[in-house]
Amino acid sequence: MKKVWLAASALALLTGNANAETIGISMVSFDDNFQTLLRTGMEEMAGEMGVDVQIEDAQYDVAKQLDQINNFIASGVDAIVVTVVDSSSANALSSAAEAGGVPLVYVNIEPGNADALPDNQAFVGSNEIESGTMGAYEACLQLRAAGKSNGANGYILAGNFIHQAAVQRTKDVHDVIGMDMCNFIAVAGEEEGKWSRDTAQNIMTNWLSTGEPVDVVFANNDEMAIGAIQALKSVGTDMEDVIVVGVDATQDALVAMQAGELDVTVFQNAKAQGSGALEAALDLARGEDVDQKVYIPFELVTPDNIEGYISAN
Amino acid sequence: MSESTHGIGGLTFDAKKRARPPELNVLFALILIIGVFELLGAFLMGQSFLFDSADRFDSFLNEARLKIIILQVSIIGIIAIGSTQVIISGGIDLSPGSVVGLTAMIAMSFAQVAEVNGNPNPKAVFGPAWMDLPAIVPLVVGLSVGIAAGLINGLLIAYTRIPPFIATLGMMVTARGAAKWWTKGQPVSFPTEGYASIGQGMMPVLLFILLAVLFALILRFTVYGKRTYAIGSNEDAARMSGINVARHKVLVYTIAGALAAFAAVVLSAKNLTAQAGMGVMYELDAIAMTVIGGVSLAGGRGSIVGTVLGALIFGVIISGFTFLRLDAYYQEMVKGAIIVGAVVLDQWRQGRMAAKM
Repeated sequence: MKKVWLAASALALLTGNANAETIGISMVSFDDNFQTLLRTGMEEMAGEMGVDVQIEDAQYDVAKQLDQINNFIASGVDAIVVTVVDSSSANALSSAAEAGGVPLVYVNIEPGNADALPDNQAFVGSNEIESGTMGAYEACLQLRAAGKSNGANGYILAGNFIHQAAVQRTKDVHDVIGMDMCNFIAVAGEEEGKWSRDTAQNIMTNWLSTGEPVDVVFANNDEMAIGAIQALKSVGTDMEDVIVVGVDATQDALVAMQAGELDVTVFQNAKAQGSGALEAALDLARGEDVDQKVYIPFELVTPDNIEGYISAN
Repeated sequence: MSESTHGIGGLTFDAKKRARPPELNVLFALILIIGVFELLGAFLMGQSFLFDSADRFDSFLNEARLKIIILQVSIIGIIAIGSTQVIISGGIDLSPGSVVGLTAMIAMSFAQVAEVNGNPNPKAVFGPAWMDLPAIVPLVVGLSVGIAAGLINGLLIAYTRIPPFIATLGMMVTARGAAKWWTKGQPVSFPTEGYASIGQGMMPVLLFILLAVLFALILRFTVYGKRTYAIGSNEDAARMSGINVARHKVLVYTIAGALAAFAAVVLSAKNLTAQAGMGVMYELDAIAMTVIGGVSLAGGRGSIVGTVLGALIFGVIISGFTFLRLDAYYQEMVKGAIIVGAVVLDQWRQGRMAAKM
């Protein structure tokens, strides 16, 4: 079955615009919100640039991603763009692409070898450490402003710990509340919400059933933040009294922020990352020099600056 | 009909099984687990698990915890009702989780509001003509998706004779792919109030209980139910006694598909969103609930009551872990051990029963 599918995709590659360059793209996941923004953005831009793209779903599987890269090389693409499943697995991807002589661009997630990339490889994206840290720090500031600096109950909704972003963002929260300025926040609960709104909603309701107060909720993504908000609202909590932090600045999250329920989220510029990566890939394919490391910083979104983000992603 | 020929197709009625329903063991297990959490709570947390030790409610029970225990398993519980009758018929269904994802995406696309906070719906799938529709439209569309998926499963299993494991594995992969394809992975959000009301508050619990009662009665008292048990007990005997086994299997899988679709509607209404990744692993949780509830994977044995108790054990465990502040890493390890432990106990009990006969 795999062979048939490969033949079909090879045929698709062959029958594409004969003169256009072809870029193979391996995404960490097709059903992650941000990855979807990035992927659809790149698809659109490729159309505008007249480039053929072949996009694969690595489904969070390091081994599957390496297979996809090797398949791209075998089918003779002009360049490869990757959102890496695990940054420590990037060496294998880099070596495969280098051996195959195909330019490789890492997008979005910083590879572990970002400082030692081979010549025809580059990274365009953001440093994951920023997102969790910025959100947690802003929450700390808002709690202090609300006069809670002598003690606050915090809850952490982690993504799935098999995903690097979840591990990093959760560690960031612990790092921030380990600082003297923010160590008034005590972690009263920490669970894996698995990125899911429903799971997070159930976990939050369970926490609420213990009767402990809730001052702040740190969620690794907006979906879980919204789940927590739905649970808090269902027991009649005044959302003014609780700080809820997410990451992604999804449309749903921005609507929740406008309603005064979500307090902090962090925006990642999918369009800038996607176009930057495609351009770098094309430049490399044409033998031009590129900046091997381009950082596109995360941006903090709060009710004060939400207007600028409503149609950003 | 005399006592000894009460079963279908000449299957003898086993008086011992009726005398001591296996569901009773599951109930004991449930009470035992609650007892363990009460004890650990008293020693480790200085709090009661189910009772209102902090005086936060008017009643003497911790209402919030009782509610979440059942609420958090209601949606997978609806799927488990379908899985129960599939497993009793001797089959297995691996597709419900993916059918949930696909159905949620498609149903939610027909349940959207035109305006959010005075702005056009930022997640609109279709044009304005397809928005603000009455809730019955997404409900019917959603159920049709699940029925179609279940029908395909059933037809493949009944008429091409491929094993249920393979047929439903195919549907699991295909439906998940279709869920991602529908909007290219974009989530679908902002439903109408009418649609949302299907999943708000304790509605999921109410719907789960209603469906559980309905299917408990169907399996216990109707021809459909008796044929399902007969096919699961001995398919050849059932066929020789004149049951149209193929047609019945199609029906069993179609109903399972419809229940998965209904769970998807409730899930997306509860969360006010549909995501292509919704429902991942739900089929395995549903199967675990049925197995903990005493339904035999060999077919022919088990009941909806058992499955409901199995679901409650699941809910108690999830809430108990949170109550004890058990680290997230350990939760899954313990959950896995409990699933296997429940089946080991059940096998051991069955072995003893067989030895007595």
